[in-house]
Amino acid sequence: MLQNEQEFIRILKERLEGTLAREELDDIVSDYSEHFRMGKESGRTDEELCKSLGSPEDIARELKALHLVKKAENSKSCRNIFHAVIATLGLGLFNLVFVLVPFLILLVMLFVVFIVGILFAVFGPVGFVFSLIQLAGQPAFAIWLNPAAGAFFAISITTMGLLLIIGDYYLARFFYRVGIRYLKWNISVITDTEEI
Amino acid sequence: MSAKEPGDDMFADLVSRLNLSGLTVTKIILWLLAITIVSFVIGVGILAVFGDLPGGHGKTASPFVESGSLGNTSSFPLEGATYGSVGITMGAGELTVRGGAPEDTLMEATVFYRNAEWQPVIAESVNGSQKSITMTDKGHTAKEWVAVHSPNTWDVQLSNQVPLDLTVHTGAGDTSLDLSHLNLASLVVENGAGDTEITLGSAPVPGSVEINLGIGDLTLRVPKSGNTRIIVHSGVGDVSRSGFVEQGEFFTTPGYDPERPVTEIRVKQGVGSTSLEAV
Repeated sequence: MLQNEQEFIRILKERLEGTLAREELDDIVSDYSEHFRMGKESGRTDEELCKSLGSPEDIARELKALHLVKKAENSKSCRNIFHAVIATLGLGLFNLVFVLVPFLILLVMLFVVFIVGILFAVFGPVGFVFSLIQLAGQPAFAIWLNPAAGAFFAISITTMGLLLIIGDYYLARFFYRVGIRYLKWNISVITDTEEI
Repeated sequence: MSAKEPGDDMFADLVSRLNLSGLTVTKIILWLLAITIVSFVIGVGILAVFGDLPGGHGKTASPFVESGSLGNTSSFPLEGATYGSVGITMGAGELTVRGGAPEDTLMEATVFYRNAEWQPVIAESVNGSQKSITMTDKGHTAKEWVAVHSPNTWDVQLSNQVPLDLTVHTGAGDTSLDLSHLNLASLVVENGAGDTEITLGSAPVPGSVEINLGIGDLTLRVPKSGNTRIIVHSGVGDVSRSGFVEQGEFFTTPGYDPERPVTEIRVKQGVGSTSLEAV
């Protein structure tokens, strides 16, 4: 168990360096130093204050997760949301179930929809060419039960593929927004604070 | 939620850069949706009109040709027979008949067909020294988009070893018979509609050779060295000859000698050109 302020601040700084900007880190350190100063003025010891604040490692993890979720919210990218999810996982083992599993399911689903869209968008034109070859009298290239119908099905498949790709993009955006909200809610529940 | 950043709507930015005035993402999506639905409905409509929708004759709900039935090859051995008889009846499709079946095989047939109902029925029987094979289209109810371009295709190879009677009936479609290496005893060819190309060998055909066509062009090739006489009854269409000698109503090969074994060919042509070539 930590016995003094210096040790507490040192660990907190160590854990947050590299993730938070210098100014932000200084603000946080300043806040905690102020907390120690006021506590001491009211007659409490370092040990008591350290005990009331809790582990600096846990505090650093929470701050890190909050910071990365905010970053992912303000600057949307796969990298940022991935970092936010990883940081949130560090808040508790149960987040493997409540964060990682839904995240992976969504990721796989979006990936599958994207791949299906690509396959449709590629197969459609190929199928269209095959229908023309079939109509031109090359039975060895017959893939369609009816080449004329096949030409229209090929067009339909192509546009369906494009729709899937576009739909996947908007679906990803939607889940990104929902995911950020969920992560913020998750952090607030774990840290027992108000949702940011 | 925070305000949008430049990278927030990359797709929309990309579309706007294409300078498609008036085209928004929503419009593009609606257009794609409309094309998807309309194309699909037209495709299903065509299948319905041509009787290819699922529900009958074991058809599946797929618009694709059943991959497992795209093609198969069957061989029919001679089984010691010294004479062969082959009858081919095809409703619609493309038929190729030629020599060169493997040794001791009377017939080897490779068929490409659309679905199970197109699989021909092949029956074989042996009567003494004669082996008979009939290859028959079971018949199908589906109408053709373009009959001659149907993916129903038969490629039949016959034995060069034994003399054989060959009968070919086709309803619609192109027929190509390269019989130059066969030991033909007789030949009957009937084609309802479609082009027919027949090549005979120099060996005389002792039996009758009859070619009856409905609508379509005929190209008949025989070797110049053969002893062949052809009589043509043509309805509507030109009769052209190359290398033949016209003798009254007959066309003969240059060295025609009635005293020698003759291949006598009778051609009845309905509508279409007839091209006789002695090569």
